[in-house]
Amino acid sequence: MCGISGIVGSSDVTKRLYNCMLNLEYRGYDSCGMAVLSNGQIDVRKNTGRVAEVFEKERFSELRGNLGIAHSRWATHGHPSKLNSHPHTSPNGRIALVHNGIIGNYVSLREELITKGHVFKSETDTEVIPHLLEFYYAEYGDFERAVRATVERLEGTYAFAAIEAGHPDQLFCARNKSPLIIGAGKNANYVASDIVAFIEYTKNVVYLNDNEYAIVSKDSFKVKNASTGEPQPKEIDTVTWDAEQAKKGGYPHFLLKEIYEQPIALRHALELDDEKIAALAEMIDNADRTYLIGCGTTFYAALLAQYYFKEFAGEYAPAVNSDEFRNLCGVDERTLVLAISQSGETFDTLEALRYAKASGAKTAAIVNALGSSMTREVDFVIMQGAGPEKSVLSTKAMTSQIVILTRTALWLAETRKSLPPSELEGIKTGMGELPSVVRSILDEKPGFVRRIANRVGTFKKWLYIGRSYHLPAALEAALKLKEVTYIPAEGMAGGFMKHGPISLVDEDMVVVVLMPTPDNEALYRSTLNSVSEMKSRGGRMIGFHFDQWESVFDEQIVLPKVHKALAPIPQLVVGQLLAYFIAVLLKRDPDNPRGLAKSVTVE
Amino acid sequence: MKALILAAGKGANLSPLSDTRPKPMIILSGQPLLEHSLGMLRETGITDVVIVIGHHSEQIRDHFGRGASWGMNIEYVQQSEQDSIGDALLLARDRFKGLDYFILSYGDTVFSENIFSNCLASFSEFKKSTAVVALAPHTEFYGNVYLDDTSRISRVVEKPKGHAMGNYVLAGTFVLASEFFDLVEKNEANVAAAFNVLSSDYGFYATIWEEDWTDVNLPWDVLQANRILMNGWENATISQLATVASNVAFTGPVFIDDYAKISDGVVLRGPCYIGKHCYIGNNCLIREFTSLGDHTTVGYGVELKNCVFFGRTRVGRLSFIGDSVIGQDAIIGSGTMTVNESLEDKTIEVKIGDRMVNTGLMKVGAFVGDNAVIGASNTLLPGTLVPPGSRLPHRGTIA
Repeated sequence: MCGISGIVGSSDVTKRLYNCMLNLEYRGYDSCGMAVLSNGQIDVRKNTGRVAEVFEKERFSELRGNLGIAHSRWATHGHPSKLNSHPHTSPNGRIALVHNGIIGNYVSLREELITKGHVFKSETDTEVIPHLLEFYYAEYGDFERAVRATVERLEGTYAFAAIEAGHPDQLFCARNKSPLIIGAGKNANYVASDIVAFIEYTKNVVYLNDNEYAIVSKDSFKVKNASTGEPQPKEIDTVTWDAEQAKKGGYPHFLLKEIYEQPIALRHALELDDEKIAALAEMIDNADRTYLIGCGTTFYAALLAQYYFKEFAGEYAPAVNSDEFRNLCGVDERTLVLAISQSGETFDTLEALRYAKASGAKTAAIVNALGSSMTREVDFVIMQGAGPEKSVLSTKAMTSQIVILTRTALWLAETRKSLPPSELEGIKTGMGELPSVVRSILDEKPGFVRRIANRVGTFKKWLYIGRSYHLPAALEAALKLKEVTYIPAEGMAGGFMKHGPISLVDEDMVVVVLMPTPDNEALYRSTLNSVSEMKSRGGRMIGFHFDQWESVFDEQIVLPKVHKALAPIPQLVVGQLLAYFIAVLLKRDPDNPRGLAKSVTVE
Repeated sequence: MKALILAAGKGANLSPLSDTRPKPMIILSGQPLLEHSLGMLRETGITDVVIVIGHHSEQIRDHFGRGASWGMNIEYVQQSEQDSIGDALLLARDRFKGLDYFILSYGDTVFSENIFSNCLASFSEFKKSTAVVALAPHTEFYGNVYLDDTSRISRVVEKPKGHAMGNYVLAGTFVLASEFFDLVEKNEANVAAAFNVLSSDYGFYATIWEEDWTDVNLPWDVLQANRILMNGWENATISQLATVASNVAFTGPVFIDDYAKISDGVVLRGPCYIGKHCYIGNNCLIREFTSLGDHTTVGYGVELKNCVFFGRTRVGRLSFIGDSVIGQDAIIGSGTMTVNESLEDKTIEVKIGDRMVNTGLMKVGAFVGDNAVIGASNTLLPGTLVPPGSRLPHRGTIA
């Protein structure tokens, strides 16, 4: 997904275009760029990075003009790089264009243009559009006609906006299946992928339909049918809502939106190329020792993976906090350090990787944000493809990381034949079912989770208990609660309780128990023992379990059947919902908890 | 955009409060429920409204007229037999000819913030039919929704019986494509079936509401609705036209409306609402979440707590009214006591129709219909329902 915007106005447009880009950053942020027309010249500035960074790096503020277009990108065709960033220009540099969508037939168009002598600078599908525009403009001498001729050639989805050096007061745009909206402002008109881009400047909007194009000038706009050229009458709508709300796609907070995006994020993680997983598994196989490193939530993802590597593949791959890595772990050239990071910019993890690299170790990373520092610095990277995560709390990125790590552990198990084939197949089938299991939890359980939140949300002491691979899930669920509600909560191994912490338990304490599945018999029995110990001390017991309704718990969420080894994953989802609903109950800001930032880029 | 509000229902479960008035004319903070909704529509820039009326329709017509005082244009559709929601929709259908989308709102819901602007914001994102969905304590009263990855509603399960569900439910506010009228017709006025066709063939999206809301279905829901509205208050408001004695004590967001008179020694704990022309006698204690409709007269030394008075009621001296709803033109004799909790420390059950319904609340008082008269020294037990116009004699130990 990308965001495009454009402005034609009577005063300088750079500042406003910059704000449009910031407002569209949620649609993608691995690179961005801007093109502004002044004195018959188009000046294009673009690079990789967040909008604010590129603004500094490329000195956008130097641009001056009354007509401009801008783009923020989430790479699909062509990796994030300066050349692949938008705007793209025509060979003679007189046309600049930004595009959102995918041109299905770009390969054949590109070949056709190459035979006509066109030279392409980027790997993108987009670049064929300005080339086509230049070609047809030369042929017809009428830019509007060139737009129509170009649109006729394009297959796939697109919304684009283009400027041409000889048309200093006109902006050309067209759409098919990607969003495009015109904003009618005072002394300026706007186009964008989303109203939020320009909502601070105008609330009067016109929606373009598929197969329509528009010519926009500062005080008027004409919308026409792309096949017939017939003018299309349009009514101006006025929007009455606030901008921030609109980006959330029906959800009150990004946190809830991202929790609900987990089925698709998990599906993407399951569909990642086998070669990628195989390559990572091979690196682990070739190393004498693999460390899994992360910070906060990603450390818990690493810890869960440690259990899986041991259980499935007999591989001891210790999980280590990135910030303690240097103090704790020795590395040499036979070591692999596998880092997990949503942002790819986490300072402590980058430092640990640099330390490992300096000692000759191999490095690899699982990263969500494209084009981030970590993706450039490690020997091997797997991109999660979980989509932008805006809430400070990591949810879908984390469960997607776990799927990727689990797939790697299973790949290793397969090559090492460390699991009986039936067992291996069972887990693989269970993995394939995860998206629908999570979907059904998100559909059928929130009412129950919210009811629990309403009943116990005002308790001040919380404990999350789990054994074996339920322990990392308990730690993570406790972290979620801490982060977003500011309630002190501890995650702990069930077996650790009687060595001290059980003295904390009284009727003022909520104890959340992450129960194993009943077919995991030994683990199930020992966890149930911990439950009765704590219940007898008056703790308010909450169970996330897979049984029938269990009277031993005061409150409970009964989860759908999953493979026993994968049971922590649905429990993580319930933990996220519980933390979210308590945050709402206590009127916390779920998306921006106090004192926390999305990516921790400082020591 | 034009809005359709359904306000014809009889609201049998809300008896005795609904016996003499339509649900949307339940009065909270001096305004009918419906007026709160219309205010939110107006705020969102929507002025064209069609209201389907039926049960005691004259009250709605008399109060709102053509809507000029609210800057709105209100049309009415009369539903003579209070059948289903589907029938109400079909009756109003020709008022929406030629429009692509319309707002549909059930007239008995209360939201803590402007639900229409929320729904329209999401609609402008989806550009398809959009429903407000929320979590409810009892999913069996609602349409339960299943969502796909893009907050599209994939399925609606209407009023599931037998097993509890934890789904988000349709919360009674929608932006719907006008084809929905056709779907309702094709499905023989079965709205649930029409919703399912809408989602499979036209696209039907959800906007999730996590703030407070309730629909007013059972008598104690009136108290919850009142709470939701008052929780949004931040400031105290005292009309210049009110008369307040010098030694009245205030805490919290107290709202005293025009021409109210507050006597010496009264303690007001906000949020609470004292309506126009109310009279509060000496040394009364008016506690949180009390709403007194216009022309309510409260005698000496009365304590009121978490209760709603529709208005024009007299409360005799030295009474206690708590967790209760009192209809219009009722008379509460001196020394009347509402008892609002059971001795067993249990949630309170109330008889609705011919079954006992657990309120889930530890404190519930009495529900007194319009024009009822309660003689002096009566004690009303938790969950007492007093029919409108009934007369309870005075209680005396010596005849």
